[in-house]
Amino acid sequence: MNDQMSLSNEIQTKVNDLFIKGFEIPSEKLTPTASLYEDLGLDSLDAVDMLVHLEETFKIKVDGERLMEVRTLQNVYDLVAEVARNAGSETVAQHAPALTANV
Amino acid sequence: MKVYITGQGTLTSLGNSVEESWKGLSEGRTGVRAYPEWKQYNGLHSHLGAPVGAYDISRIPRQTRRTMSRMSEMASLATFQALAQADLAPGAGLNTARTCLIMGSTSGSPDTLETYFRKLFEKGGPEGQFSTSFFKVMNHSVAANVAAALEFNGALLAPSSACASSAQAMILGWELIRSGMYDTVIAGGADELHYMTAAIFDIVQAASRKYNDTPDLSPRPFDKARDGLVVSEGAAVVVMESEKAMQARGGRPIAEFLGGAYLCDSTHMSQSSAETMNAVMKLALERAGRRLDDVDYVNAHATGTVHGDIEESRAIGATFGKKVPVSSLKGHFGHTLAACGTLEVISSIKMMETGTLIPTRNLGEIAPECSEIQHVTLANARPARLRTVLSNNFAFGGMNTSLVIGGLGKSS
Repeated sequence: MNDQMSLSNEIQTKVNDLFIKGFEIPSEKLTPTASLYEDLGLDSLDAVDMLVHLEETFKIKVDGERLMEVRTLQNVYDLVAEVARNAGSETVAQHAPALTANV
Repeated sequence: MKVYITGQGTLTSLGNSVEESWKGLSEGRTGVRAYPEWKQYNGLHSHLGAPVGAYDISRIPRQTRRTMSRMSEMASLATFQALAQADLAPGAGLNTARTCLIMGSTSGSPDTLETYFRKLFEKGGPEGQFSTSFFKVMNHSVAANVAAALEFNGALLAPSSACASSAQAMILGWELIRSGMYDTVIAGGADELHYMTAAIFDIVQAASRKYNDTPDLSPRPFDKARDGLVVSEGAAVVVMESEKAMQARGGRPIAEFLGGAYLCDSTHMSQSSAETMNAVMKLALERAGRRLDDVDYVNAHATGTVHGDIEESRAIGATFGKKVPVSSLKGHFGHTLAACGTLEVISSIKMMETGTLIPTRNLGEIAPECSEIQHVTLANARPARLRTVLSNNFAFGGMNTSLVIGGLGKSS
Protein backbone atom coordinates (compact mmCIF):
# COMPACT_ATOMS: atom_id res chain seq x y z
CA MET A 1 0.00 0.00 0.00
CA ASN A 2 2.79 2.35 0.91
CA ASP A 3 4.54 1.51 -2.32
CA GLN A 4 1.40 2.32 -4.27
CA MET A 5 1.03 5.67 -2.51
CA SER A 6 4.63 6.45 -3.10
CA LEU A 7 4.26 5.64 -6.79
CA SER A 8 1.14 7.75 -7.01
CA ASN A 9 2.90 10.71 -5.38
CA GLU A 10 5.84 10.26 -7.69
CA ILE A 11 3.61 10.27 -10.75
CA GLN A 12 1.82 13.38 -9.53
CA THR A 13 5.07 15.20 -8.84
CA LYS A 14 6.56 14.35 -12.20
CA VAL A 15 3.42 15.14 -14.18
CA ASN A 16 3.13 18.48 -12.41
CA ASP A 17 6.79 19.14 -13.13
CA LEU A 18 6.09 18.44 -16.78
CA PHE A 19 3.27 21.00 -16.84
CA ILE A 20 5.40 23.61 -15.06
CA LYS A 21 8.50 23.20 -17.20
CA GLY A 22 7.05 21.99 -20.48
CA PHE A 23 3.93 24.14 -20.64
CA GLU A 24 4.85 27.01 -18.31
CA ILE A 25 1.75 26.50 -16.13
CA PRO A 26 2.02 28.13 -12.68
CA SER A 27 2.11 25.44 -9.98
CA GLU A 28 -0.88 26.93 -8.12
CA LYS A 29 -3.09 26.09 -11.10
CA LEU A 30 -2.18 22.41 -10.96
CA THR A 31 -5.10 21.01 -9.02
CA PRO A 32 -6.34 17.49 -9.79
CA THR A 33 -9.68 18.80 -11.05
CA ALA A 34 -8.12 21.40 -13.35
CA SER A 35 -9.29 20.97 -16.94
CA LEU A 36 -6.33 20.67 -19.30
CA TYR A 37 -8.07 22.74 -21.93
CA GLU A 38 -10.30 25.26 -20.13
CA ASP A 39 -8.22 25.85 -16.98
CA LEU A 40 -4.65 25.16 -18.09
CA GLY A 41 -4.98 26.49 -21.65
CA LEU A 42 -3.68 23.47 -23.54
CA ASP A 43 -4.87 22.68 -27.05
CA SER A 44 -4.68 19.71 -29.40
CA LEU A 45 -1.00 20.28 -30.30
CA ASP A 46 -0.10 20.50 -26.62
CA ALA A 47 -2.01 17.30 -25.93
CA VAL A 48 0.10 15.39 -28.45
CA ASP A 49 3.29 16.85 -27.01
CA MET A 50 2.12 16.05 -23.48
CA LEU A 51 1.83 12.43 -24.52
CA VAL A 52 5.37 12.42 -25.92
CA HIS A 53 6.66 13.99 -22.70
CA LEU A 54 4.81 11.40 -20.61
CA GLU A 55 6.17 8.54 -22.68
CA GLU A 56 9.72 9.83 -22.39
CA THR A 57 9.46 10.67 -18.70
CA PHE A 58 7.88 7.44 -17.55
CA LYS A 59 9.24 5.14 -20.27
CA ILE A 60 5.75 4.04 -21.18
CA LYS A 61 3.80 3.71 -24.42
CA VAL A 62 0.35 5.28 -24.53
CA ASP A 63 -2.15 4.75 -27.32
CA GLY A 64 -2.77 8.22 -28.81
CA GLU A 65 -6.50 7.57 -28.92
CA ARG A 66 -6.60 7.57 -25.15
CA LEU A 67 -6.08 11.33 -25.25
CA MET A 68 -9.81 11.57 -25.90
CA GLU A 69 -10.50 10.35 -22.35
CA VAL A 70 -8.16 12.80 -20.72
CA ARG A 71 -9.85 15.98 -19.57
CA THR A 72 -8.38 16.82 -16.17
CA LEU A 73 -5.02 16.63 -14.50
CA GLN A 74 -6.33 13.74 -12.37
CA ASN A 75 -7.11 11.92 -15.64
CA VAL A 76 -3.45 12.30 -16.59
CA TYR A 77 -2.25 10.89 -13.26
CA ASP A 78 -4.68 7.99 -13.63
CA LEU A 79 -3.70 7.29 -17.21
CA VAL A 80 0.00 7.15 -16.37
CA ALA A 81 -0.68 4.96 -13.34
CA GLU A 82 -2.85 2.58 -15.35
CA VAL A 83 -0.43 2.24 -18.25
CA ALA A 84 2.50 1.85 -15.87
CA ARG A 85 0.62 -0.75 -13.84
CA ASN A 86 -0.20 -2.75 -16.95
CA ALA A 87 3.36 -2.53 -18.14
CA GLY A 88 4.78 -3.28 -14.70
CA SER A 89 5.16 -0.50 -12.17
CA GLU A 90 8.88 -1.15 -11.86
CA THR A 91 9.29 0.62 -15.16
CA VAL A 92 8.12 3.87 -13.66
CA ALA A 93 10.02 3.49 -10.44
CA GLN A 94 13.26 2.67 -12.23
CA HIS A 95 13.28 5.18 -14.99
CA ALA A 96 11.20 8.18 -14.05
CA PRO A 97 13.58 9.91 -11.66
CA ALA A 98 16.38 10.20 -14.18
CA LEU A 99 14.21 11.36 -17.02
CA THR A 100 12.55 14.52 -15.76
CA ALA A 101 15.27 16.62 -17.33
CA ASN A 102 13.87 15.68 -20.71
CA VAL A 103 10.72 17.66 -20.08
CA MET B 1 5.15 56.02 -56.75
CA LYS B 2 7.81 56.39 -54.09
CA VAL B 3 8.44 53.65 -51.54
CA TYR B 4 10.03 54.45 -48.19
CA ILE B 5 11.59 52.42 -45.44
CA THR B 6 9.96 53.54 -42.21
CA GLY B 7 11.08 50.92 -39.71
CA GLN B 8 14.10 48.69 -39.13
CA GLY B 9 14.93 45.89 -36.74
CA THR B 10 17.76 43.45 -36.36
CA LEU B 11 19.47 40.89 -34.15
CA THR B 12 23.06 40.14 -35.11
CA SER B 13 26.24 38.76 -33.65
CA LEU B 14 27.20 42.37 -32.90
CA GLY B 15 24.05 43.22 -30.95
CA ASN B 16 20.33 42.78 -30.60
CA SER B 17 19.24 46.06 -32.15
CA VAL B 18 20.04 48.33 -35.07
CA GLU B 19 21.96 50.72 -32.83
CA GLU B 20 24.01 48.00 -31.10
CA SER B 21 24.86 46.37 -34.42
CA TRP B 22 25.83 49.72 -35.89
CA LYS B 23 28.01 50.46 -32.88
CA GLY B 24 29.82 47.17 -33.45
CA LEU B 25 30.28 47.98 -37.12
CA SER B 26 31.54 51.48 -36.37
CA GLU B 27 34.06 50.10 -33.91
CA GLY B 28 35.26 47.51 -36.40
CA ARG B 29 34.31 44.59 -34.18
CA THR B 30 33.54 41.05 -35.27
CA GLY B 31 30.93 38.60 -34.03
CA VAL B 32 32.95 35.61 -35.22
CA ARG B 33 34.19 33.12 -32.63
CA ALA B 34 35.77 29.70 -32.61
CA TYR B 35 33.60 26.59 -32.39
CA PRO B 36 36.05 23.91 -31.22
CA GLU B 37 33.06 21.72 -30.34
CA TRP B 38 32.43 21.29 -34.07
CA LYS B 39 35.64 19.27 -34.32
CA GLN B 40 33.56 16.25 -33.30
CA TYR B 41 31.79 16.24 -36.66
CA ASN B 42 33.68 14.02 -39.07
CA GLY B 43 34.58 15.74 -42.29
CA LEU B 44 33.79 19.26 -41.08
CA HIS B 45 36.83 21.50 -41.39
CA SER B 46 35.34 24.92 -40.63
CA HIS B 47 35.01 25.53 -36.90
CA LEU B 48 33.96 29.17 -36.93
CA GLY B 49 30.62 30.89 -36.42
CA ALA B 50 29.07 34.19 -35.39
CA PRO B 51 26.26 33.61 -32.89
CA VAL B 52 23.64 36.07 -31.72
CA GLY B 53 23.82 36.73 -27.97
CA ALA B 54 21.11 36.05 -25.43
CA TYR B 55 17.73 37.65 -26.07
CA ASP B 56 14.44 37.83 -24.22
CA ILE B 57 11.52 36.16 -25.98
CA SER B 58 9.13 36.22 -23.05
CA ARG B 59 6.84 38.85 -24.61
CA ILE B 60 5.65 36.16 -27.03
CA PRO B 61 3.06 33.83 -25.48
CA ARG B 62 4.05 30.19 -25.03
CA GLN B 63 1.50 28.86 -27.52
CA THR B 64 3.00 31.09 -30.20
CA ARG B 65 6.57 30.46 -29.12
CA ARG B 66 6.26 26.66 -29.05
CA THR B 67 6.46 26.42 -32.85
CA MET B 68 9.44 28.75 -33.11
CA SER B 69 13.05 27.81 -33.56
CA ARG B 70 15.75 30.42 -33.04
CA MET B 71 15.30 31.89 -36.51
CA SER B 72 11.61 32.60 -35.90
CA GLU B 73 12.30 34.00 -32.44
CA MET B 74 14.93 36.38 -33.78
CA ALA B 75 12.75 37.36 -36.75
CA SER B 76 9.82 38.10 -34.45
CA LEU B 77 11.91 40.32 -32.19
CA ALA B 78 13.40 42.15 -35.18
CA THR B 79 9.91 42.68 -36.57
CA PHE B 80 8.70 44.12 -33.27
CA GLN B 81 11.65 46.53 -33.37
CA ALA B 82 10.85 47.57 -36.95
CA LEU B 83 7.17 48.14 -36.21
CA ALA B 84 8.02 50.14 -33.10
CA GLN B 85 10.33 52.42 -35.08
CA ALA B 86 7.66 52.82 -37.76
CA ASP B 87 5.14 53.58 -35.02
CA LEU B 88 2.89 50.78 -36.21
CA ALA B 89 1.24 48.48 -33.69
CA PRO B 90 1.05 44.71 -34.27
CA GLY B 91 -2.39 43.13 -34.60
CA ALA B 92 -5.12 45.70 -35.11
CA GLY B 93 -2.50 48.35 -35.92
CA LEU B 94 -1.95 46.82 -39.34
CA ASN B 95 -4.44 47.14 -42.18
CA THR B 96 -4.48 43.51 -43.22
CA ALA B 97 -6.13 44.15 -46.58
CA ARG B 98 -3.31 46.48 -47.63
CA THR B 99 -0.33 44.99 -45.78
CA CYS B 100 1.85 42.11 -46.91
CA LEU B 101 4.35 40.23 -44.74
CA ILE B 102 7.26 38.78 -46.74
CA MET B 103 9.91 36.88 -44.85
CA GLY B 104 12.28 34.08 -45.77
CA SER B 105 14.97 31.75 -44.52
CA THR B 106 17.37 29.38 -46.21
CA SER B 107 15.48 26.35 -44.94
CA GLY B 108 13.49 25.31 -41.92
CA SER B 109 15.34 25.06 -38.61
CA PRO B 110 18.47 22.92 -39.09
CA ASP B 111 18.61 22.29 -35.36
CA THR B 112 15.08 20.87 -35.32
CA LEU B 113 15.69 18.96 -38.54
CA GLU B 114 18.63 17.22 -36.91
CA THR B 115 16.64 16.35 -33.79
CA TYR B 116 13.68 15.20 -35.86
CA PHE B 117 15.66 12.89 -38.10
CA ARG B 118 17.86 11.53 -35.32
CA LYS B 119 14.70 10.44 -33.53
CA LEU B 120 13.11 9.17 -36.74
CA PHE B 121 16.06 6.89 -37.47
CA GLU B 122 16.47 5.87 -33.84
CA LYS B 123 12.80 4.87 -33.51
CA GLY B 124 12.50 3.49 -37.04
CA GLY B 125 9.53 5.75 -37.68
CA PRO B 126 7.69 8.84 -36.46
CA GLU B 127 7.04 7.49 -32.96
CA GLY B 128 7.63 10.08 -30.27
CA GLN B 129 7.78 13.13 -32.54
CA PHE B 130 6.51 16.37 -31.07
CA SER B 131 3.52 17.90 -32.84
CA THR B 132 5.30 21.23 -32.96
CA SER B 133 8.44 20.04 -34.79
CA PHE B 134 7.07 20.39 -38.29
CA PHE B 135 6.18 24.03 -37.69
CA LYS B 136 9.85 24.70 -37.01
CA VAL B 137 11.15 22.88 -40.08
CA MET B 138 8.66 23.87 -42.76
CA ASN B 139 10.15 26.24 -45.31
CA HIS B 140 7.81 29.10 -44.40
CA SER B 141 8.38 28.64 -40.68
CA VAL B 142 9.82 32.12 -40.14
CA ALA B 143 7.05 33.89 -42.05
CA ALA B 144 4.25 31.91 -40.40
CA ASN B 145 5.67 32.29 -36.91
CA VAL B 146 6.26 36.01 -37.27
CA ALA B 147 2.67 36.39 -38.50
CA ALA B 148 1.48 34.50 -35.43
CA ALA B 149 3.59 36.67 -33.13
CA LEU B 150 2.15 39.81 -34.73
CA GLU B 151 -1.40 38.41 -34.78
CA PHE B 152 -1.28 39.30 -38.45
CA ASN B 153 -4.03 38.01 -40.74
CA GLY B 154 -3.06 39.57 -44.07
CA ALA B 155 -1.09 38.34 -47.08
CA LEU B 156 1.93 36.24 -46.18
CA LEU B 157 4.75 35.21 -48.51
CA ALA B 158 7.95 33.32 -47.81
CA PRO B 159 10.66 33.61 -50.45
CA SER B 160 13.29 30.99 -49.69
CA SER B 161 16.36 31.69 -51.76
CA ALA B 162 19.15 31.13 -49.26
CA CYS B 163 21.43 34.15 -48.98
CA ALA B 164 19.22 36.25 -51.27
CA SER B 165 16.00 35.61 -49.32
CA SER B 166 15.57 38.94 -47.58
CA ALA B 167 16.84 40.91 -50.57
CA GLN B 168 14.18 39.19 -52.65
CA ALA B 169 11.60 39.91 -49.95
CA MET B 170 12.35 43.63 -50.11
CA ILE B 171 12.45 43.81 -53.90
CA LEU B 172 9.19 41.87 -54.12
CA GLY B 173 7.74 44.24 -51.52
CA TRP B 174 8.79 47.21 -53.59
CA GLU B 175 7.16 45.68 -56.67
CA LEU B 176 3.92 44.96 -54.81
CA ILE B 177 3.68 48.46 -53.36
CA ARG B 178 4.46 50.00 -56.74
CA SER B 179 1.78 47.83 -58.32
CA GLY B 180 -0.77 49.47 -56.05
CA MET B 181 -1.83 46.17 -54.51
CA TYR B 182 -0.41 46.97 -51.06
CA ASP B 183 0.45 50.07 -49.07
CA THR B 184 2.75 48.45 -46.55
CA VAL B 185 5.18 45.54 -46.69
CA ILE B 186 7.05 44.07 -43.75
CA ALA B 187 10.06 42.38 -45.32
CA GLY B 188 13.12 40.54 -44.09
CA GLY B 189 14.78 37.26 -43.35
CA ALA B 190 16.42 35.16 -40.68
CA ASP B 191 18.58 32.10 -40.22
CA GLU B 192 20.04 30.25 -37.25
CA LEU B 193 23.58 29.04 -36.73
CA HIS B 194 24.15 25.30 -36.96
CA TYR B 195 27.10 23.12 -37.86
CA MET B 196 25.15 21.66 -40.78
CA THR B 197 25.03 25.08 -42.40
CA ALA B 198 28.79 25.39 -42.04
CA ALA B 199 29.04 21.92 -43.56
CA ILE B 200 27.03 22.92 -46.64
CA PHE B 201 29.70 25.48 -47.50
CA ASP B 202 32.56 23.36 -46.20
CA ILE B 203 31.69 20.50 -48.53
CA VAL B 204 32.10 22.78 -51.55
CA GLN B 205 35.27 24.25 -49.99
CA ALA B 206 33.64 27.65 -49.53
CA ALA B 207 33.88 27.85 -45.72
CA SER B 208 36.88 29.27 -43.91
CA ARG B 209 39.02 26.58 -42.28
CA LYS B 210 42.51 28.05 -41.90
CA TYR B 211 41.55 30.46 -39.15
CA ASN B 212 39.89 28.10 -36.68
CA ASP B 213 42.31 29.18 -33.98
CA THR B 214 42.25 32.87 -34.92
CA PRO B 215 38.55 33.65 -35.46
CA ASP B 216 39.23 37.37 -35.41
CA LEU B 217 41.01 37.07 -38.75
CA SER B 218 38.21 35.49 -40.78
CA PRO B 219 36.33 35.93 -43.05
CA ARG B 220 38.51 38.15 -45.21
CA PRO B 221 36.48 39.46 -48.16
CA PHE B 222 38.62 40.45 -51.17
CA ASP B 223 41.83 39.74 -49.21
CA LYS B 224 44.67 37.75 -50.72
CA ALA B 225 44.65 35.36 -47.75
CA ARG B 226 40.88 34.75 -47.71
CA ASP B 227 39.83 31.12 -47.55
CA GLY B 228 36.05 31.13 -47.36
CA LEU B 229 33.02 32.43 -45.54
CA VAL B 230 32.05 32.12 -41.89
CA VAL B 231 28.47 31.09 -41.18
CA SER B 232 26.48 33.27 -38.88
CA GLU B 233 22.92 33.88 -37.78
CA GLY B 234 20.51 36.70 -37.18
CA ALA B 235 17.39 38.44 -38.36
CA ALA B 236 16.76 41.70 -40.16
CA VAL B 237 13.42 43.29 -41.00
CA VAL B 238 12.25 46.53 -42.56
CA VAL B 239 8.87 48.19 -42.90
CA MET B 240 8.29 49.56 -46.40
CA GLU B 241 5.45 51.93 -47.21
CA SER B 242 4.10 53.85 -50.16
CA GLU B 243 4.67 57.57 -49.80
CA LYS B 244 0.92 58.15 -49.80
CA ALA B 245 0.20 55.64 -47.04
CA MET B 246 3.09 56.87 -44.94
CA GLN B 247 2.01 60.48 -45.22
CA ALA B 248 -1.63 59.64 -44.56
CA ARG B 249 -0.80 58.19 -41.18
CA GLY B 250 1.91 60.70 -40.35
CA GLY B 251 4.73 58.17 -40.69
CA ARG B 252 8.38 59.19 -40.82
CA PRO B 253 10.69 58.06 -43.64
CA ILE B 254 14.14 56.66 -42.90
CA ALA B 255 15.30 56.08 -46.47
CA GLU B 256 13.84 55.61 -49.91
CA PHE B 257 13.74 52.19 -51.50
CA LEU B 258 14.49 53.23 -55.04
CA GLY B 259 14.26 49.84 -56.69
CA GLY B 260 15.85 46.50 -57.26
CA ALA B 261 16.08 43.49 -59.52
CA TYR B 262 16.56 39.76 -59.35
CA LEU B 263 17.90 37.64 -62.14
CA CYS B 264 18.81 33.99 -61.93
CA ASP B 265 22.03 32.59 -63.32
CA SER B 266 21.31 29.29 -64.97
CA THR B 267 24.90 28.54 -65.86
CA HIS B 268 26.03 27.14 -62.51
CA MET B 269 24.30 26.14 -59.29
CA SER B 270 26.97 27.45 -56.92
CA GLN B 271 29.05 29.90 -58.95
CA SER B 272 27.30 32.97 -60.28
CA SER B 273 29.20 34.65 -63.09
CA ALA B 274 30.40 38.23 -63.29
CA GLU B 275 28.27 38.71 -66.40
CA THR B 276 24.97 37.96 -64.66
CA MET B 277 26.02 39.95 -61.58
CA ASN B 278 26.76 42.87 -63.86
CA ALA B 279 23.39 42.46 -65.54
CA VAL B 280 21.45 42.47 -62.29
CA MET B 281 23.18 45.61 -61.02
CA LYS B 282 22.39 47.46 -64.25
CA LEU B 283 18.79 46.29 -64.23
CA ALA B 284 18.39 47.35 -60.59
CA LEU B 285 19.65 50.83 -61.43
CA GLU B 286 17.41 51.03 -64.46
CA ARG B 287 14.37 50.03 -62.44
CA ALA B 288 15.37 52.51 -59.74
CA GLY B 289 15.59 55.27 -62.32
CA ARG B 290 19.23 55.94 -61.47
CA ARG B 291 22.39 56.14 -63.56
CA LEU B 292 25.71 54.49 -62.84
CA ASP B 293 27.24 57.76 -61.77
CA ASP B 294 24.48 58.37 -59.24
CA VAL B 295 25.84 55.56 -57.08
CA ASP B 296 28.00 56.75 -54.17
CA TYR B 297 28.75 53.40 -52.57
CA VAL B 298 28.38 49.71 -53.36
CA ASN B 299 27.73 47.30 -50.52
CA ALA B 300 29.15 44.07 -51.85
CA HIS B 301 27.83 40.62 -51.05
CA ALA B 302 31.47 39.43 -50.88
CA THR B 303 31.49 36.65 -48.31
CA GLY B 304 35.19 35.88 -48.41
CA THR B 305 35.04 32.89 -50.76
CA VAL B 306 37.83 32.50 -53.27
CA HIS B 307 35.61 32.35 -56.34
CA GLY B 308 32.65 34.55 -55.36
CA ASP B 309 34.74 37.55 -54.39
CA ILE B 310 36.60 37.46 -57.69
CA GLU B 311 33.42 37.29 -59.74
CA GLU B 312 31.77 40.09 -57.79
CA SER B 313 34.80 42.36 -58.03
CA ARG B 314 34.93 41.70 -61.77
CA ALA B 315 31.25 42.51 -62.04
CA ILE B 316 31.48 45.69 -59.97
CA GLY B 317 34.67 46.67 -61.78
CA ALA B 318 33.01 46.16 -65.16
CA THR B 319 30.01 48.22 -64.01
CA PHE B 320 31.59 51.05 -62.04
CA GLY B 321 35.33 50.80 -62.62
CA LYS B 322 37.26 52.21 -59.68
CA LYS B 323 35.06 55.27 -59.28
CA VAL B 324 32.77 54.02 -56.52
CA PRO B 325 33.84 52.89 -53.04
CA VAL B 326 33.02 49.27 -52.27
CA SER B 327 33.02 47.31 -49.03
CA SER B 328 31.62 44.11 -47.57
CA LEU B 329 30.27 43.68 -44.03
CA LYS B 330 30.75 39.90 -43.84
CA GLY B 331 34.02 40.36 -41.93
CA HIS B 332 31.99 41.89 -39.09
CA PHE B 333 28.78 39.89 -39.05
CA GLY B 334 29.89 36.67 -40.73
CA HIS B 335 27.39 35.45 -43.29
CA THR B 336 23.89 35.85 -41.86
CA LEU B 337 22.47 34.01 -44.89
CA ALA B 338 18.78 34.86 -45.37
CA ALA B 339 19.11 37.95 -43.17
CA CYS B 340 22.05 39.54 -44.96
CA GLY B 341 20.16 41.41 -47.69
CA THR B 342 18.07 43.39 -45.24
CA LEU B 343 20.86 43.67 -42.69
CA GLU B 344 23.12 45.23 -45.31
CA VAL B 345 20.40 47.68 -46.33
CA ILE B 346 19.93 48.70 -42.69
CA SER B 347 23.70 49.08 -42.28
CA SER B 348 23.98 51.06 -45.52
CA ILE B 349 21.24 53.41 -44.33
CA LYS B 350 23.26 54.04 -41.16
CA MET B 351 26.27 54.81 -43.35
CA MET B 352 24.15 57.32 -45.30
CA GLU B 353 22.78 58.88 -42.13
CA THR B 354 26.20 59.27 -40.55
CA GLY B 355 28.29 59.94 -43.65
CA THR B 356 30.50 57.01 -42.78
CA LEU B 357 31.97 54.30 -44.97
CA ILE B 358 32.48 51.05 -43.10
CA PRO B 359 35.66 49.40 -44.40
CA THR B 360 35.88 45.73 -45.28
CA ARG B 361 37.12 44.04 -42.12
CA ASN B 362 40.25 41.90 -42.44
CA LEU B 363 41.08 43.38 -45.83
CA GLY B 364 44.83 43.81 -45.49
CA GLU B 365 46.37 42.87 -48.82
CA ILE B 366 43.89 43.14 -51.67
CA ALA B 367 43.85 40.01 -53.82
CA PRO B 368 45.18 40.82 -57.31
CA GLU B 369 42.06 39.27 -58.89
CA CYS B 370 39.87 41.59 -56.81
CA SER B 371 41.81 44.76 -57.47
CA GLU B 372 39.68 46.32 -60.22
CA ILE B 373 37.43 48.14 -57.76
CA GLN B 374 37.86 50.94 -55.23
CA HIS B 375 38.05 49.11 -51.89
CA VAL B 376 37.19 50.79 -48.61
CA THR B 377 39.85 49.61 -46.19
CA LEU B 378 40.76 50.56 -42.66
CA ALA B 379 43.66 52.53 -44.12
CA ASN B 380 41.65 54.64 -46.55
CA ALA B 381 38.20 54.87 -44.90
CA ARG B 382 36.95 58.44 -44.82
CA PRO B 383 33.72 60.37 -44.30
CA ALA B 384 31.55 60.45 -47.39
CA ARG B 385 28.30 62.00 -48.50
CA LEU B 386 26.21 59.03 -49.56
CA ARG B 387 23.00 59.78 -51.42
CA THR B 388 22.53 56.58 -53.36
CA VAL B 389 23.72 53.11 -52.37
CA LEU B 390 23.63 49.90 -54.37
CA SER B 391 23.63 46.64 -52.44
CA ASN B 392 24.27 43.18 -53.87
CA ASN B 393 23.33 39.73 -52.69
CA PHE B 394 24.01 36.47 -54.45
CA ALA B 395 22.96 32.99 -53.43
CA PHE B 396 23.36 29.35 -54.34
CA GLY B 397 21.06 28.40 -57.15
CA GLY B 398 22.16 31.40 -59.20
CA MET B 399 19.99 33.78 -57.19
CA ASN B 400 21.35 37.21 -58.01
CA THR B 401 19.87 40.36 -56.51
CA SER B 402 20.79 44.00 -56.48
CA LEU B 403 18.87 46.89 -54.97
CA VAL B 404 19.18 50.64 -54.66
CA ILE B 405 18.56 52.79 -51.61
CA GLY B 406 18.35 56.55 -51.49
CA GLY B 407 19.13 58.86 -48.62
CA LEU B 408 16.42 61.29 -47.63
CA GLY B 409 16.02 64.38 -49.75
CA LYS B 410 19.33 63.87 -51.46
CA SER B 411 18.65 60.98 -53.79
CA SER B 412 16.55 62.58 -56.49
